[in-house]
Amino acid sequence: MSEEKTTLEVIAPTVDEAIANGLGQLGLPREMVDVEVLDAGSRGLFGLGGRQARVRLSIRWAEEGQSKSSPAAPPVESPAPKNEEAPAVTTAPVPAPARTEPAGDEETLRIAVQVVSDLLERMKVRARVTADYVQPEEGGDQPTVMVEIQGNDLSILIGRRSETLNALQYIANLIVGREAGRWVPLMIDVQGYRQRRERQLRQLARRMAEQALHTGRRQVLEPMPANERRVIHLELREHDAVSTESVGEEPNRKVTIVPKK
Amino acid sequence: MKELIEYIALSLVEDPSCVQVRQERSGGNKIRFELRVCKEDMGRVIGKNGRVANAMRVLLRVAAAREGKQAILDVVEPR
Repeated sequence: MSEEKTTLEVIAPTVDEAIANGLGQLGLPREMVDVEVLDAGSRGLFGLGGRQARVRLSIRWAEEGQSKSSPAAPPVESPAPKNEEAPAVTTAPVPAPARTEPAGDEETLRIAVQVVSDLLERMKVRARVTADYVQPEEGGDQPTVMVEIQGNDLSILIGRRSETLNALQYIANLIVGREAGRWVPLMIDVQGYRQRRERQLRQLARRMAEQALHTGRRQVLEPMPANERRVIHLELREHDAVSTESVGEEPNRKVTIVPKK
Repeated sequence: MKELIEYIALSLVEDPSCVQVRQERSGGNKIRFELRVCKEDMGRVIGKNGRVANAMRVLLRVAAAREGKQAILDVVEPR
């Protein structure tokens, strides 16, 4: 008897959600699968840098006869997963249901470009605005709308500690969400600033981690906005010898890098 | 500057009928704006911990700087 192992790996914020997502995708009841928890996940600091839970679901073929689903249509043929509300990544060796991109429509991009252009026009800033979808590096999320602003002398749009850029992004996100009728993850960049800044922050994180180890003392970084602190936490998440935490109140919240005992 | 506040407010409220932006010069290059919205929409233009209002102030600062001015924004309770 060929013991066919059909498995599906699911990643989601919690173990329970991962199992529920996986069952939804397979279209199977809980008792038809074996669940193996590969990674229970962790919350991380302040919801940042947490690991997602990972489970592997194995279909129990042996019991298929008893539960009497029609043999011609194996239960693997699942109904289309509801991607809208279950944006779980699946790394499935076998029954990968066709993944339709949620929010992958042109209309949302058009709205995003329009809203950002409208804001800039009223701020008396002349610039070119384009938008596209990017996949977030941290798995699991739906694609993010990336709005690029290009033009001359746009440092006024970034501001101190990227305050202006973050305000623009926040307001644009609210308006786009309302016009699109649902929350849309959206990022705004000016002349590639965020990318450059992220590279700098990663380097800074590694350098300060070195220093923390070298001196044996905690290193306190400059105050940063939340999205920048997140980059530091993520960069050092896998580091064996240091841990990171954020201390202080906004807008003076700082990452500290602490050597592990 | 006024158009910026109006645009953002109108885009965020449920009821556009009471959105009103009043502008008063408070001497020199300072300008004060008063934004009024319906009572039910106050939360939408202020936000948790004033986050929306503060973001509007940051953007308003850019618009004002373009004209060599300083601007203040107050969100006012409807009468």
